[in-house]
Amino acid sequence: MAANIIETGGLTRSYGDICALKPLDLLVAEGEWLSVMGHSGSGKSTLLNIMGGLDRPSAGSLRVGTEDLLALTEDGLARFRREYVGIIFQQHHLVPYLSAVENVMLAQYFHSVPDEAEARSALERVGLGHRLQNRPGELSGGEQQRVCIARAIINSPKLLLGDEPTGNLDHKSTLMVMELLKELRAEERFTVIMVTHNQEVAAWGDRTIYLDDGVLVREERNK
Amino acid sequence: MVLAYKLIPHLLAWAGIMLVLVRGFAGRRKFAAIAGSIGFAAGAAGTLVLLQTLKGDTPFAVIKILLGGGFLFFLVISVVALYRSSERSASAPAGRRERLANSGICAVSAASVSGIAAGAVCACCFTGFQNIFALSLFLAAAAAIMAILILVMENLLPKAFVVSPSGLAAAVSALLLFSSSSLPRLDLFAPLTMKVMKFTHDFVHQFFESMLIPDHMFFTSATWNFIGLLFGNGVGFWGGLFIWFAPMVLVIAALAFEQIPPVAHIRQGAQRRKLMAAAVRARRLRLIVPMCAAIISGGAVYESNFPSVEYWDPKPLIVSANPAGEIIIPRKGEVDLEDGNLHKFLYKQGGKEARFFILMPPSGELTVDLDACAICKPDGYGQAEGTVICYYCKTLIPLETVGKPGGCNPVPMPFTVKGDGVHIDGVSLINTWSSTVQSTARIKGGGK
Repeated sequence: MAANIIETGGLTRSYGDICALKPLDLLVAEGEWLSVMGHSGSGKSTLLNIMGGLDRPSAGSLRVGTEDLLALTEDGLARFRREYVGIIFQQHHLVPYLSAVENVMLAQYFHSVPDEAEARSALERVGLGHRLQNRPGELSGGEQQRVCIARAIINSPKLLLGDEPTGNLDHKSTLMVMELLKELRAEERFTVIMVTHNQEVAAWGDRTIYLDDGVLVREERNK
Repeated sequence: MVLAYKLIPHLLAWAGIMLVLVRGFAGRRKFAAIAGSIGFAAGAAGTLVLLQTLKGDTPFAVIKILLGGGFLFFLVISVVALYRSSERSASAPAGRRERLANSGICAVSAASVSGIAAGAVCACCFTGFQNIFALSLFLAAAAAIMAILILVMENLLPKAFVVSPSGLAAAVSALLLFSSSSLPRLDLFAPLTMKVMKFTHDFVHQFFESMLIPDHMFFTSATWNFIGLLFGNGVGFWGGLFIWFAPMVLVIAALAFEQIPPVAHIRQGAQRRKLMAAAVRARRLRLIVPMCAAIISGGAVYESNFPSVEYWDPKPLIVSANPAGEIIIPRKGEVDLEDGNLHKFLYKQGGKEARFFILMPPSGELTVDLDACAICKPDGYGQAEGTVICYYCKTLIPLETVGKPGGCNPVPMPFTVKGDGVHIDGVSLINTWSSTVQSTARIKGGGK
């Protein structure tokens, strides 16, 4: 049985009087693909942000790999994000005036040093070898999301977080992106945590958890 | 209060030296601090004793030799560092060198020598101080307190801030030079510029002489305008700066071009880039100390009293000849001809005049010379630091060679020394002056 890469205990996040995430105990095994479902405002993105080191919990404990995220300083969290986490957003968040390869190289730059050959190779892996020099505005939604995937995996993260990565894509593009993620996960053996509203997308994972009003209400293994 | 005020820049320099020593010998920081403090105390006490027992400039000359030797050693280190940076990869012998550089013996030796030099410079602030025992104790205590403070402060510095051996040498050298430059008698930059200027002038003269080129006959004035750049004061200054900063630049170049460890064998791209980035970052951090050292060296130049040379240039005394046509100048009359200084005289006869000087060089034999040479316009000579300088071409002539004919040397005149003083024939003085001045005025501009 694989070791747990994520362990949370009583993880809570409050914004003033509003409790976005109520005490949550969750274990995620290394290499697992976990889907997180729930209504808008159920705490999915809050959970994702906390696991990715983008936000800090109000209470509880959170260990990701060997890192105790609550004990990390801001610099420590930045290093954790740089070296441990890859994130794919629904809105892509690509730099519009940089080409596809430059967007990937930007992630390399913040991690360590840029390497164009490696960035090109990553884009070729996601099927964009012919679109290296195109800017995001010149790419379709599906292509942009594949650039995001290349950007997310370029630094070999142990944890890949997706915040509704297929939310803006049509069915065909969604299938293409999910297929790609499945292939990459098999090759790179990273853990995937994906927030989605789409039951069909959630079914690509090994397990799905359901959040409602910040509470883990249901959990099921996918076939 | 005055004592403390005088000490501040030197103790700050000592603190800087201690900081780089403690960080540079990270595994031997306490050894380095203790050895450095003992060295400082010994250097200060030894210098105070020297200052009391040896009069004149001798103690300062000893310390200048120590500082100059340190600078030359740093130059050697910088060349070795540059050579090593060109090696393709870190080999086993290089590893042994690293271990040697971090050994206890090396740490103690470097700290002791640095401490001795810093203490000696510091003690030079207190010339004429009588109670040397109390002063030695005070300086030793100040150095020790500073060392303890630095040991505490060094712990607060980020671990990533590393000092390479060549960076350490750069910082120690720069701080010692900064400390010494504030004391005119220990200033190394001004003498360096003088030496460079003299070397350049001598080299150019020797070149023309060895090539048998009759310079002022052969070249036009326009050509000499360009060659004359080598005779200006700027040559000394810029040449001095070049030598002053050369080792610093070599160390910076050595670190900047240092090979990063091979990473091509690492398959995972992110891991490979991470190691590369770490190596590049470490290299940049190692550059901080020599960069700061370069700035401090610049500060030392600023502090230096360059141009330190104030030429001794007395106003010519007007003399006349007796009825027999002899000019007689008493050995100890209006001026003391035997005081080692250059004494100028002006002799006028029948509408003509001649300027000459009398000097007793270290050889102890008086010499009488025209205040002009056979080459340049007769702008005359000044005296400075064991040399006379031609005001026209700025050539420095050692006192030992004054009185000998040729080149830029002042034209010697025959004379006799009798009981009542120095006797010079007035007619031959006027004639020699006239022929000399005429010969140097054969081309436009007069001489070169």
